[in-house]
Amino acid sequence: MKMFQSLGAAVLSTIERLGSAALFFFDILGNSWALVKRFYLVTQQVYAVGVFTLPIVLVSGLFVGMVLGLQGYNTLVKFGAAQSLGLLVALSLLRELGPVVTALLFAGRAGSALTAEIGLMKATEQLAGMEMMAVNPVMRVIAPRFLAGVISMPLLAAMFSAIGILGGHLVGVGLLGVDSGAFWSQMQNGVDFRDDVMNGVIKSVVFGVVVTWIAVFEGYDAVPNSEGVSRATNHTVVYSSLAVLGLDFIMTALMLGDV
Amino acid sequence: MSQIAASTNDDGNLVEIRDVSFQYGTRTILDNLTLGIPRGRVTAIMGGSGCGKTSLLNLIGGRLRPSRGQVLVDGQNVPDLNIRELYQLRKRMGMLFQHGALLTDLSVFENVAFPIREHTRLPEAVLRNLVLMKLQTVGLRGARDLMPWELSGGMARRVALARAIVLEPMMIMYDEPFTGLDPISMGVIAKLIRELNQVLGITSIVVSHDVAEASLISDYAYLLGNGRILGQGTPTELQQSTSPDVRQFMDGLPDGPVPYTYPARNYLEDLFGENGR
Repeated sequence: MKMFQSLGAAVLSTIERLGSAALFFFDILGNSWALVKRFYLVTQQVYAVGVFTLPIVLVSGLFVGMVLGLQGYNTLVKFGAAQSLGLLVALSLLRELGPVVTALLFAGRAGSALTAEIGLMKATEQLAGMEMMAVNPVMRVIAPRFLAGVISMPLLAAMFSAIGILGGHLVGVGLLGVDSGAFWSQMQNGVDFRDDVMNGVIKSVVFGVVVTWIAVFEGYDAVPNSEGVSRATNHTVVYSSLAVLGLDFIMTALMLGDV
Repeated sequence: MSQIAASTNDDGNLVEIRDVSFQYGTRTILDNLTLGIPRGRVTAIMGGSGCGKTSLLNLIGGRLRPSRGQVLVDGQNVPDLNIRELYQLRKRMGMLFQHGALLTDLSVFENVAFPIREHTRLPEAVLRNLVLMKLQTVGLRGARDLMPWELSGGMARRVALARAIVLEPMMIMYDEPFTGLDPISMGVIAKLIRELNQVLGITSIVVSHDVAEASLISDYAYLLGNGRILGQGTPTELQQSTSPDVRQFMDGLPDGPVPYTYPARNYLEDLFGENGR
């Protein structure tokens, strides 16, 4: 009986939190319009959220591309199709690995930082202080960070894919002797702008919205003490990673369905 | 003292709390409380930790809603205001938080400039002078380029005070302004509270459990406990009160109406009863 009780309580509190997260999302959207006139607030956050995530994204992208070059070559060469290495690397990165791995890195680097920052602002009464100064913290603090995340994520994913392709080229052409012309021309012929590039972009935009949304909500909803902030930061990374992987499956299924 | 009482009656009260009850979850924080904050005076609200002092400030600021009763600020009932009216009212209220609540990513200058930048379109030169004047008031004009983490607790509170007065509010609420300060900083804050009240005529509400400091600077004081008023009057009247509730608080007695021991069952039974074996 106790078990059912606690199960019910857990379900109810989860639904309640989902509901307040949804309301919070609309609150952010409603307050985003005010930022059109003060876009510098968003630009500052793009710098904080996006630029500081760039190094980890570039380094990871390079290595993922290099691994793809190695693995792809070893499989393709068995079928005498090593010339298609460029196509394989590009498609893997653009459609799947670029958006997904970038989103996971983004959650770990930028998402956790956003949650911790907002949570600490709440714990040190900075958000309450703003309210008492008649400044809406959702407009001044949350919405710029949310928009910055949504803007940064697709750009970071694009850079991840670009440097990954260079990494694949480095290994495939530089080390393993694939013909450079074939590497690029196969890629040029095989990659479709709408089906491959745009699908990846859509994924990265959706991941940007979800990860940043989870990050700012967890921070804003954190219990305002050190323990609460650390738990919220933890939640951000766990929930957004799970959400990214789950949504990736759903979106891939939808996108391949109509090809 | 009679002069103060007379002018209080002339000006009336800026804040009126009428029959306010407030619950947090199932716990009653304020129980049918009625009190008035006279215009242009320093009013202290004293009481032990968790007696609802800070909740009272949040009710006046509209950050909490009472479950019953009216909170009148300058004639407007705060719980009835919509968000736009509430924000208009808050522009005329300042609040000093316990730890200053400075924005950590902005310098001292930008922190004080923050409300002006948010609410007005002043030219940069005017804004600069205004901010420097307010920083001069709290004696920190030279600290304008420091970041919040470089300030001591007392300095942070003075910067926060400069920020609270930069829009020339009609009242300031001080939430535990003396907590955690060394004696010198405490004296500085007390002097500032008094001066701002005398020079600018700002109505001040000081929430504190520091009896000595709060008595020194206030014109009138309320003592809260269990969500009710235990005693009120000028600080001198409270000092001379014979009510046991007031006496225990003013003298800092460990035992009295507020018991020393947390409610528990019989000591001997607890030690040697069935569970003790």
